[in-house]
Amino acid sequence: MKAVDIIFYCIAIFVLTTGVLAVTTRKIFRSAIWLLFCLMGVAALYFWMNANFIAAIQIAVYVGGIVVLIIFSIFLTQQSGNQMPKPNFLRIIVASITSLIGLGLMLQLFAKQTFKTTNKNFDIDIATLGKQLLSTDANGYALPFEVISILLLAAMVGCIVIAMKPKTQL
Amino acid sequence: MLSLETITNNVHDWLNSHVSNTWATIIEMVIVGLLVIGLFAILGLILVLMERKVSAFMQIRVGPNRVGFKGSLQTLADTLKLVLKEGLTPKGADKFLFNLAPYIVMCAAMLILAPIAFANNFQIWDINIGVLYISSISSISVIGILMAGWASNNKYSLLGAMRSGAQIVSYELSAGFSVLCIVILTGSLKISDIINAQQNGWFIFKGHIPAIISFIIFIIAVTAETNRAPFDLAEAESELTAGFHTEYSGMKFALFFLAEYVNIFVVCAIGAILFFGGWMPLHIGNWHGFNHIMDYIPSSLWFMLKVFGLIFLIMWFRWTFPRLRVDQLLNLEWKYLLPLSLVNLLLMTIVAIMGWYF
Amino acid sequence: MFLKKYISEIWRAVKSLLKGMKLTGYYFTHHKEIITQNYPEVKQPLPERFRGEVVLIHDENNEHACTGCTACELACPNGTIKIITKFDVSAEGKKKKALDTFVYHLELCTMCNLCIEACPTSAIKMAQNFEHSVFNRNDLTKKLNKPGSKIREGVE
Repeated sequence: MKAVDIIFYCIAIFVLTTGVLAVTTRKIFRSAIWLLFCLMGVAALYFWMNANFIAAIQIAVYVGGIVVLIIFSIFLTQQSGNQMPKPNFLRIIVASITSLIGLGLMLQLFAKQTFKTTNKNFDIDIATLGKQLLSTDANGYALPFEVISILLLAAMVGCIVIAMKPKTQL
Repeated sequence: MLSLETITNNVHDWLNSHVSNTWATIIEMVIVGLLVIGLFAILGLILVLMERKVSAFMQIRVGPNRVGFKGSLQTLADTLKLVLKEGLTPKGADKFLFNLAPYIVMCAAMLILAPIAFANNFQIWDINIGVLYISSISSISVIGILMAGWASNNKYSLLGAMRSGAQIVSYELSAGFSVLCIVILTGSLKISDIINAQQNGWFIFKGHIPAIISFIIFIIAVTAETNRAPFDLAEAESELTAGFHTEYSGMKFALFFLAEYVNIFVVCAIGAILFFGGWMPLHIGNWHGFNHIMDYIPSSLWFMLKVFGLIFLIMWFRWTFPRLRVDQLLNLEWKYLLPLSLVNLLLMTIVAIMGWYF
Repeated sequence: MFLKKYISEIWRAVKSLLKGMKLTGYYFTHHKEIITQNYPEVKQPLPERFRGEVVLIHDENNEHACTGCTACELACPNGTIKIITKFDVSAEGKKKKALDTFVYHLELCTMCNLCIEACPTSAIKMAQNFEHSVFNRNDLTKKLNKPGSKIREGVE
């Protein structure tokens, strides 16, 4: 076994353990923290694959944005320090069956799919990435990029409308 | 000429000729880790002493003057005291997260050090997304602060943590925009490219008006991001006792304290790299004689001089301005800094496209 | 106009911030302005009327002027002074009341000066010593008359 493999298995074990802990812990704040570690483990996998850009974006978006938002909403809800009640038995059964079905589907897909190994260097410079994001070619991302930006703009306008006070109240 | 670059190259060659490549890499990693920890310890000692002396002189006081020559060993004595103190965990606290939080904050501070160039070719990891890496990793430290605030089971800690979270999340925007201004000028996120682009003049001179505006926005935003006065609402000793680290004592408190100062060093190092050319000596255009004289000063010295100059500026802010209220803080960001930095980004783009820079 | 007001607001803010930084920068570079003093080495002269502790005045012959009349003990509002008297036998065989021990509880004293005003023979005064810290609380209970001291001749 090479050092690269050892590092991969370490990261994989870390991601899986924290992922399991995130759904099994009964303290909601700890659950958010385990989720955070899980996402950071995924970012570490990206770094391991030499996909630096996507790793940095993973950290910036998920750790800096989404988990902070989750933690804020936990802070603002009441009794976040208490242990949550044990879920009833039926729910555990249903949840485990659903996740087992999901796992089965994934495994089946993996079994069918043959993964090609490539020796291409993955270390892409930022200029190529930027051009790819804004190109209108067959493999360009201009359309999804623009669609997402319009969606975000609409969301922002909606937020402002909700947060704005009516003039009569002032 | 003896420089940090030749030392690292010699060590690398020696290791590779004596042990296998894998072991050489592992040993180099251990050496780098030890150097980073050593740098942390030294920075903590120096910066705390510097802060106390600067604050004293600005407030017409003398400052620490008993331990060692003119109080130079004061922080060492303080550290000894902190090591000897008991690390308390309050009743009802979430013990695991409470003990984990200081290490998260420290690890985040350590990770940001990776792409910083301390001297010519003296850099831990010249990652191709350097600036993006820094801004994404710096968002981890807010998690440590939120964790500390929540796990302490204390209302002051929780309030401080929430304030700090809101503050860091909002000021990251304008810090990011001001960094983008420089990225537009260089067209690269790589730290070594950014520094090499400043061969014939630092960006603050080359980019003139938009660069100066973005430097001002950057220094305000990073002061807020490191939770320092006048933006120290997260700690706010007169309102929240000590904010998120109220319940911490002994070495755990020291780790928070150390991380704060290391963060200041890191953001000032980034500021020095982006606007003042990192280790690049003061070069003026094509004055070859002048440039040649400046090259005789070692690059590591140039870097440290610039970083400590910026640190002094931030300390100057701290000991001059009163603390902002929460609504003023958010007003400043969303109503002034963000629109200004957007306009400035546009201005910088025009300058870069038209070639109106030197 | 909105934009004009916005920009002038920013300009005024920057100007006022720079004004503050100029002042602190001046103090930082001018160390002569420093007003604190290194206390144990440099001691500022105390005001004349500063009251630090009660002392019994002894002259060079180890003699004091206290007759043991307990006027100070009665004047003291919080029981700081306790006078223990004894009877001296003079050469003629006459008994005379005299001071045995002047007990002074510094920890109770508020430096109100009433005992000094009450003293008929001006035997006690307020001294200017203020460095009273001790490791043991009992050390604050002081015996003011020196060993072997006696009343000065002619003081009644």
